Amino acid sequence: MMSANKSTGFFRGWFASGEPWIWMNAAAVGVSVSAVVGIVLLIAVKGLAHFWPADVAKISFEDKNGQQQLVFGELIELDDLPVKQFLESGGNPNWVTEGDPRMQRWLVKTGNRKTNPPDFRWIYVNQINNTETPGGVIVLERVEWGNAYGVPKTLTVGRENPQTITGEALMPTLLERLARGDTIREEIHSLEGGAMNAINVGLERLRLQMRQINRTLPVDEAALAEALTERSQLNAQYNDLEKQLREFYRQLDQDQLIILDAQGSEISLRLADVLRIWQPNNMNALEKIAEYVGNLWLFLSEDPREANTEGGVFPAIFGTVLMVLLMSVMVTPFGVIAAVYLREYAKQGPLVRSIRIAVNNLAGVPSIVYGVFGLGFFVYFLGGNIDQLFFTDALPSPTFGTPGLIWASLTLALLTVPVVIVSTEEGLTRIPRNLREGSMALGATQAETLFKVILPMASPAILTGVILAVARAAGEVAPLMLVGVVKLAPTLPVDGTFPYLHLDRKFMHLGFHIYDVGFQSPNVEAARPLVYATSLLLVILIVGLNLTAIRLRGRLERLYRGVES
Amino acid sequence: LSLIMQNQIHVGRLSPRRHWTNVLTRYTVGVGGAAVIGAITLIFAYLLWVVAPILLPAEIETPTDYRIVERPTALVDVSENGEAMVRISETGIVEFFSVADGSGIAAFDLGRTIVKAKRLSPLVDTYALLDDNNNLLFVKTDYIIDFDNGQRRLSPKLSFPFSNRSIPLGPLDNFDAQLADDDLVIATVSGTQVSLTRFKNVEIGYRLGGSAQVTLASTVQAQEVFLVPRNQWIYLLSKSGEIDVLGIKSLQRVSRIYQGSLAPAGSTITAVTPLLGRYSLLTANDQGDIVQWGALVTANETRFVALRTFDVGQPVAQLITEPRRKGFLSVANDGELSLLYPTSGRLLDQRPSSLPASAPMAISPRSNLLIAAPQDGLITAHGLDNKHPEISWSALWAEVWYEGYEEPIFSWQSSSADNDFEPKFSLTPLAFGTMKAAFYALLFAVPIALMGAIYTAYFMAPAMRALVKPGIEIMAALPTVILGFLGGLWLAPIIEANLSSVLSVFVFLPVLLFAFALAWSLLPEKIVHSTSGWYGLIVTPLIIGSVYLAFQFGPFFENTFFGGNSRAWFLEVLGLSYDQRNALVVGIIMGLAVIPTIFSIAEDAVYAVPTHLVRGSLALGATPWQTLVKVVLLTASPGIFSAVMIGMGRAVGETMIVLMATGNTPLMDFNIFEGMRTFAANIAVELPESEVDSSHYRILFLAALVLFLFTFVLNTVAEVVRQRLRRRYGSL
Repeated sequence: MMSANKSTGFFRGWFASGEPWIWMNAAAVGVSVSAVVGIVLLIAVKGLAHFWPADVAKISFEDKNGQQQLVFGELIELDDLPVKQFLESGGNPNWVTEGDPRMQRWLVKTGNRKTNPPDFRWIYVNQINNTETPGGVIVLERVEWGNAYGVPKTLTVGRENPQTITGEALMPTLLERLARGDTIREEIHSLEGGAMNAINVGLERLRLQMRQINRTLPVDEAALAEALTERSQLNAQYNDLEKQLREFYRQLDQDQLIILDAQGSEISLRLADVLRIWQPNNMNALEKIAEYVGNLWLFLSEDPREANTEGGVFPAIFGTVLMVLLMSVMVTPFGVIAAVYLREYAKQGPLVRSIRIAVNNLAGVPSIVYGVFGLGFFVYFLGGNIDQLFFTDALPSPTFGTPGLIWASLTLALLTVPVVIVSTEEGLTRIPRNLREGSMALGATQAETLFKVILPMASPAILTGVILAVARAAGEVAPLMLVGVVKLAPTLPVDGTFPYLHLDRKFMHLGFHIYDVGFQSPNVEAARPLVYATSLLLVILIVGLNLTAIRLRGRLERLYRGVES
Repeated sequence: LSLIMQNQIHVGRLSPRRHWTNVLTRYTVGVGGAAVIGAITLIFAYLLWVVAPILLPAEIETPTDYRIVERPTALVDVSENGEAMVRISETGIVEFFSVADGSGIAAFDLGRTIVKAKRLSPLVDTYALLDDNNNLLFVKTDYIIDFDNGQRRLSPKLSFPFSNRSIPLGPLDNFDAQLADDDLVIATVSGTQVSLTRFKNVEIGYRLGGSAQVTLASTVQAQEVFLVPRNQWIYLLSKSGEIDVLGIKSLQRVSRIYQGSLAPAGSTITAVTPLLGRYSLLTANDQGDIVQWGALVTANETRFVALRTFDVGQPVAQLITEPRRKGFLSVANDGELSLLYPTSGRLLDQRPSSLPASAPMAISPRSNLLIAAPQDGLITAHGLDNKHPEISWSALWAEVWYEGYEEPIFSWQSSSADNDFEPKFSLTPLAFGTMKAAFYALLFAVPIALMGAIYTAYFMAPAMRALVKPGIEIMAALPTVILGFLGGLWLAPIIEANLSSVLSVFVFLPVLLFAFALAWSLLPEKIVHSTSGWYGLIVTPLIIGSVYLAFQFGPFFENTFFGGNSRAWFLEVLGLSYDQRNALVVGIIMGLAVIPTIFSIAEDAVYAVPTHLVRGSLALGATPWQTLVKVVLLTASPGIFSAVMIGMGRAVGETMIVLMATGNTPLMDFNIFEGMRTFAANIAVELPESEVDSSHYRILFLAALVLFLFTFVLNTVAEVVRQRLRRRYGSL
């Protein structure tokens, strides 16, 4: 009895002290912090693991029909699911371990999508008889159909006098022929992107010119004839280049490689389709690290392939950076001017106060609303009218009256202008009044005070604002989906043809790339690691920008503490 | 300041260059500032400008009369592009006139007497003409635009879609013809006798092949006959409103689908016409009602239900439907025209006219012109300004009885592959989805963010706070597309496979936390006291541990409480079906996106509570917890309120997370295991495909405007509350 009373008394006192509630509050902080750290770690681990040249295992397992199977594959991840679910989905009851409520399974990347699909498969641990990592297995990264795995058998070099190479000489020759292929591919790339592209641009210009001539009455026959001659000249040049191109392709497609898959059956590949090869099982740690760094670099510098599920993200990085740059060029002056106006020039009163609140609140308006406005006003209204005025030749196909780089930058500039205004205003408020008065007392005009005293002092705040604006813009996707982003842009917005910077072009964007590859891609398993890697890239970019802004703000605070004292 | 400035100018010691720089700067800043603020207001103004036309009333405009050659008219119509009118006369002459000035453009003589003419359903440019010998001929109009010496010219052409051979039909009272893909059916009625002729593999531009024929007896004295979509059924309707529906999928096995009446007893039908798509029939009776009847097919029966009734004030003699939309126009006995739209249930406009009620009439394919032939030598055209008839307050927000549904429902289904689809523009499911997503997100985020803010501001050691606060704020900068991707492709499958483990986290965490806190309080007073600022750190392994334990014991829970399959259990016991991408996933992931917003503002509010209040309270003997609850939270409550408001604004407008972590189905179900469709996600999905200036486009703009206003008002309230708070601290 006594003890019971004592313990209730203790609990009452303990609750009254608020101790359990304090712990609960502390747990809330713990949950938030764990979530942030967890998310960043998850993305980092999953994103970085993809580039590691994992060993290729030779797995022998029993398939659904009780047949023995042999495959080469990379073990991607271990997962488990309840036995019940496994059985309900028609799993083989023989594979269940007695007493274990869950089934362990490996996600294995087996590649060879063309000869032995699918390229990713789940293999239950209990299904597997044996796993080994035989040396000599090569991984081939191909132009299409994903990776291939196998042991090289023969390489046939040359079409006219084929030479068959086997044994010791095979690998060195293979690497040498691949290097040759790279050189030819580069030639093809520069031919297509350079001379042939220039001719295409010329032909399009001529087409519009001829349409214009035909439309104006009376038809200017001389001009038309001139345009026709020019067109036939260009076409002739194009044909020559095409011949050259065909020759390159013929040169490229000289060799045939035969590899053996795990079952020992031959797979014949055109070496022209192979981009890179490596032998993970024969590599030591150092070589693997080198390969890893190489893979990372390729991811950053290459174009995507195979509906964005392979290759790199270079155009997306380029598009994001260019769009954000254009946006900051627009947002900085306007944001600063508006802040200076509100703080230094406008008469402080209820009107300015309510404008300030409105500007502040615009930062809370959903970004999709800006996208809707951008599409309606910038693209259809402004762009449509620009087309009517300046690009009538090309109508009805729109030039500026369709989503594009300029409209995306403008929309995001509008979206982020409150960020710059608020930050700049904060900086301006912190500048002590006596500095302004001192400057004026020395005879400076208001403009001189602004340019020589106030703006330099506010520059860290302005910079903070711009950085925050850039960070926000780089991560926005929803409005961009409406005003200019595409999943695959055929050309970069900057190239060698006049006017070099093509503001009307559509572009790729890292954030949209994540959405598109993760959700619209036909081969989600193949794409997922790339999405993690892209996410990591975006997180690093944005967190980096934000940390810079936070540090700048801290420096700014210290600076003014000095001025004020 | 401005006083000083003006003095300077008056003193006049400035060199012109300095003076002008100063003036120029002032104007540049003024103009620039005003421009930015103007640009911001432009957003609101532009959204409103796009939305406004749906609020404007429709209008039947003043008529234009065209004098033309006098001939008895069998049919009038307007070309697809609205530039030419066509009249088919009873004397067999097809003439084309310009809509601009009524001048004749072309004429063709068919050389026969026409007694009845109809459009060949569902085409708008092809007509079935019945001559006085009961032969049926199909003609097709084409409008070719070419340039003659730079002059745009419209040349109408008349062609025979199935050769110029006519089809003999025998004596008849009425007929109908419909081409469903390659299946042409001609139906005729004569007394109670129905004859059907079917041509298979029909292609426009080619001769008709062999036909199958059947003659049957109907139970009604049919005055009207209509073939319905895909030539599945035929409707036979008598003067007194009795209807007989026959299934004619196969002419060998014609079956009776339905028999009944479409008019109240004792009344007679004065006009009847099928709406576009022929899923529903409009009947007008002599009591002055226009009723929309829909055929409702359920598993065991087919019946006709009155979807809605219109009252135009007096008996109607003729009903004319729009060829490309579901709207129609009624003509009263005295010629009064009423423009109506079924889905929105709107009587759009009424206008008296001198048109004889039985005059041949037609609405143009673009629904912007009504033409009629009141006399042999006259065509009267009324412009119809009627761009968004499908939108009304009730169509947007109330339950609507759509064609083919058993009852009125809320539905958002804006487009389909079919041309005769009835768009469903109810914003209610989207508003509901938006609220549902925001509710679950806030349910998760508000407690965590507020409690975290309280701890961070009030209890946490300064050294830890300096790291934790920016750390959580960084989370605000994480792109939502990444969170959405993790939600949809990482978290959703995990929750699906481990539902009971995830749910048991909510059991393990509080229990373990409680036990741990109890154990900690038994430690020496000194340790407890000195560590209270670090609880947040101490507790983190505990959180990770309880998640780990929950996943270890998850299968155990699954077997013990949920019979081995929690998803099946929820469906059978609670009736909750499970989608992989659901409100639980959105709640957690969007919660994570909202936490930093709420946390940051609430933390500022709690931190800003003046220390002398806290010290005073503590000095009077209150414990830190009592001080927090009774003094600090009360003082900071407006700030906390505004934090929640701003968090809600963010949750309501978030796009990418909802787009990626839900199935985007516009459901009206609060079930946490099912998805939803929000305004923002809906805009992102549908706006790029929406036709500019269509009703759909404007409704999406309306959704954006609603989002804009909602968040703007929410944030303004929050801001005003926060400013009041600041003023109160100022006085303390």
